[in-house]
Amino acid sequence: MGGLLQWLQSVVTLNHFFVWTYVWKYTPAPAIIQGAIVTVILSVISQLLGTLIGLMLYFLRRGRIRVFRISADAYIWFFRGTPLAVQILAFYTLFPYLHISRPLRAIDPFSAIGFTHGPGPIFLDSFLAAILALSLNEGAYMAEIVRAGIDAIDVGQLEAAKSLGMTYSLAMRRIVLPQAFRIIIPPLGNEFNNMLKNTALAAFIALNELLETGRLIGDANFASLELLVVASLWYLLLTTIWGFFQGIIERKLNASNLDPGAPRPQWWQRAFGFGQGNAGVATAVPAEH
Amino acid sequence: MAMRGSTGAYTNGTRLMVDARDVHKYFHNNEVLRGVNMQVLRGEVVVVIGPSGSGKTTFLRCINHLEKINRGRIYVDGKLIGYRETGDGKLVEDSERNIAGIRAEIGMVFQRFNLFPHLTALQNIIEAPMQVKGIAREQAEARGRELLAKVGLAQKADAYPARLSGGQQQRVAIARALAMDPKLMLFDEATSALDPELVGEVLKVMRQLAEEGMTMVVVTHEMGFARDVADRVIFMDGGIIQEEGAPAQMFSASSNERLRTFLGQIREE
Repeated sequence: MGGLLQWLQSVVTLNHFFVWTYVWKYTPAPAIIQGAIVTVILSVISQLLGTLIGLMLYFLRRGRIRVFRISADAYIWFFRGTPLAVQILAFYTLFPYLHISRPLRAIDPFSAIGFTHGPGPIFLDSFLAAILALSLNEGAYMAEIVRAGIDAIDVGQLEAAKSLGMTYSLAMRRIVLPQAFRIIIPPLGNEFNNMLKNTALAAFIALNELLETGRLIGDANFASLELLVVASLWYLLLTTIWGFFQGIIERKLNASNLDPGAPRPQWWQRAFGFGQGNAGVATAVPAEH
Repeated sequence: MAMRGSTGAYTNGTRLMVDARDVHKYFHNNEVLRGVNMQVLRGEVVVVIGPSGSGKTTFLRCINHLEKINRGRIYVDGKLIGYRETGDGKLVEDSERNIAGIRAEIGMVFQRFNLFPHLTALQNIIEAPMQVKGIAREQAEARGRELLAKVGLAQKADAYPARLSGGQQQRVAIARALAMDPKLMLFDEATSALDPELVGEVLKVMRQLAEEGMTMVVVTHEMGFARDVADRVIFMDGGIIQEEGAPAQMFSASSNERLRTFLGQIREE
């Protein structure tokens, strides 16, 4: 009976095995900060590439060439239907077959630019495998988001542009995409939030991003759980900062449609993602008269 | 079909702004245009009336190739629209660039305005002149402000479409089309989406344009406008032109049963 109580007490307080001082010590550690920076770099590059791939897939699927349409559908089917973890591992495992693992590792550009604080070097082959898998995977999801955004624009916009002598590509670039982009921004923001966390799967392939750095430090210091908390705090910080920026971007992009009298979300609502609803989408739809 | 009309000028190709011959258009198996022949002279204002589903809007959209025609030919200012004639007389679809080039000379005003909501009124107007014609911003803006003044919206240059009334939006849309210096203006039920009290301000601009000698093809339900402004009224029903003539004759002296039924319905509204 006494043993059970003690156990329950340890569950509640974590006193017997959790050392908060480790958390405070490692949260601002250079190694962890470096890991967080790698996570951000990985996320930004993958999101940008993924968005471009999504855009490309849209035009392939809408195009006249049947083989391209089918290939694009197959691509999306494949990358949405298999686990991201498998995709990351597969690219990483594929590289040695192509005889590029070792040469890539030898380049080591990250150490050259001062990323020397981690528990080990940031391997270029791991980094590229992660970028490749994350971008290609994200592209499949962005394809749907881009499609929803572009299809939401009234066909009359394209017709008006054409009637003024614009070609399809010019009309897309100047008229349709800028409007679709506003509709895409809120789901794109959510995708990036996911991306920040999905990069943690690169820990599988020994990439010293935030999670892997924390895991290595934690295991070496018998503080695994503490370092997982450290990593979580950093993920929370990153996603919170992103939420704040997302709010600002959405507000800026909606400048032409926002009703000046409409209530705006407070900074804390934007940062923590409360009270936003689908305001970004609703205000992007042009008013009918 | 032979050239219709009594002026004789129709046979002079250079004076024809629009020359549509035996135009057929199908949507799937539904034949919406069943052989339309229409000639519009330079400087002429032609008003097309007819019940909904008569094919008048479809025909208008064929003139600038927003709809592809399935048979027949449409020439605008002597240029074949949408197709190229090969040596052996067959038609192949024209290149996108050529089609765009011809469209740049044809202004179109839509029922639903279709202003670009992410651009201000002035930006709406200067977009195509700058992007399509390569006109310098300064010049394009000067011309844009001129046109805004012409449609009575000089003070709305920096307003976004969502901040404008329907009538104001449609006047900006007209200015936007005019900014390309078109030879021909197409109006597709330009006042049908407007509240009744806003119709007048748009018709006034269209009237002014007609007086300045613009060649216009106007699809409308505004019979008053047709009576006052049209040089010629065309009545379409069932995908063909049923009757055409001077407004006075069309509105009071026609013997065409369908036209009289249609006009009767309009008056009852």
